Amino acid sequence: MSRDDDHHMDGYASATAREPLTARKRDSRETPASITATSPLTSAAHLAPELSRFDPMRRIISFDDFDRGFCGWTQLVGNYEHSLDSMLPAYAEHTQPQLSNVTHWDSGSHGSFDGSYALKIATRARVGSRNVAIKRLTFRKPCPVRLEFYFAFKPEASELMLSETDVKSIGFCYDLQQGSEGGNRVMPHFRFLNAEGGRHVQKWQYKDAYRSFSDIGTEGKTVSFDHLADQDWKDVPGGSQKLCYNEVPTKINWHYVRFDFDLTTMKPVLLQCNDRLFDVSGLSPIVIPAMKNLWCMMNILFFAEAATDKRTFLYVDSVCLSGDF
Amino acid sequence: MPVLRECQTAVVSRNDRWVGVAETEPYEAGWASELIVFIRVLESEGSLTGAAAAVQISPDGIHWIDEGARLTLSDAIGQVAFVRLSHFGQYVRLRAELEYGSACKVIVTINAKA
Repeated sequence: MSRDDDHHMDGYASATAREPLTARKRDSRETPASITATSPLTSAAHLAPELSRFDPMRRIISFDDFDRGFCGWTQLVGNYEHSLDSMLPAYAEHTQPQLSNVTHWDSGSHGSFDGSYALKIATRARVGSRNVAIKRLTFRKPCPVRLEFYFAFKPEASELMLSETDVKSIGFCYDLQQGSEGGNRVMPHFRFLNAEGGRHVQKWQYKDAYRSFSDIGTEGKTVSFDHLADQDWKDVPGGSQKLCYNEVPTKINWHYVRFDFDLTTMKPVLLQCNDRLFDVSGLSPIVIPAMKNLWCMMNILFFAEAATDKRTFLYVDSVCLSGDF
Repeated sequence: MPVLRECQTAVVSRNDRWVGVAETEPYEAGWASELIVFIRVLESEGSLTGAAAAVQISPDGIHWIDEGARLTLSDAIGQVAFVRLSHFGQYVRLRAELEYGSACKVIVTINAKA
């Protein structure tokens, strides 16, 4: 069966059944293969240990290990025309992502998942502050795609307190547009709402609505809207989850996320965070009529929001984007 | 195939309005061995005569100390000033104190090379 023929299969079932580069996807209740008697001593996963913590679909579109640099991740700059003053305020505060070895005042460099460096997205030290990193791609085939990444988050350790409610949220989204006239711009958004108003909320949320666009400048060519604004977020059904936040603000632990999305139907399929699977197939993403310039766009965004006047740090290491083609 | 040196340019302040005491956000560049920090004034209010931005370094991104280098802030809109840095450790930022009655909007760019 050719690759072109094969993509018509159920992408999610087929991708995992074929055992692409990594070990077979297992039910979280199953005994890990590494401790079963039948576990092979070597496998494809062992030949690529940096990928063995992922379950990619057949084709790896990008694999970003931040010991190799920024891997195409940059800051999300807002739209403007004639003057930077025309940029929407929510975008104006964005700054560059950084390569961080996660250094703390009390314990030195923490390091990343499997090396020294992680991608760091840092807000400003202001309640409600947000920062966003973006990787800009286009897609070559509408098909199921899988985004996997490991993340950790912490507030800046500027107080000798646990500070577990100083991070408001961390999250991710796609910014997609179908590849033909008449299609849509589609933006699945998810965030882990960690804290709000001093409460340790800890739940996943999504967005299916957006506010109106603003015209930017005077040429009639540019618009902007703050699709990440702190409005219109809805709870993912059953989306409460306790994550590991350790015991002081300078200890981090890495968490796994997998998000399956189908570019053929432009709908989400599955969200996984560590040992929890969330059925998000019935949750609509933000859907906007196609724009005149964004055909086949496939942007990935990570973002962080501060709950207090303290910087929030989102660390990511590493990211694997794969597709069933 | 040779291993290319990592080289990145970060815009750490873009159109921020500086008045009174102003600081750029901490920037981590422990992976780099050399930096050039550029500043360009986009707008100014009052007089910037004698105003400067001091380079600061930090062991942790929280506690800061002057590195010694300074960048002159100019009333000449669009003029670029820069400073070369090495042995800066991990965290770098700029800090400026503007006289009462003066303010400016700046763009600060850090070019970092491994």
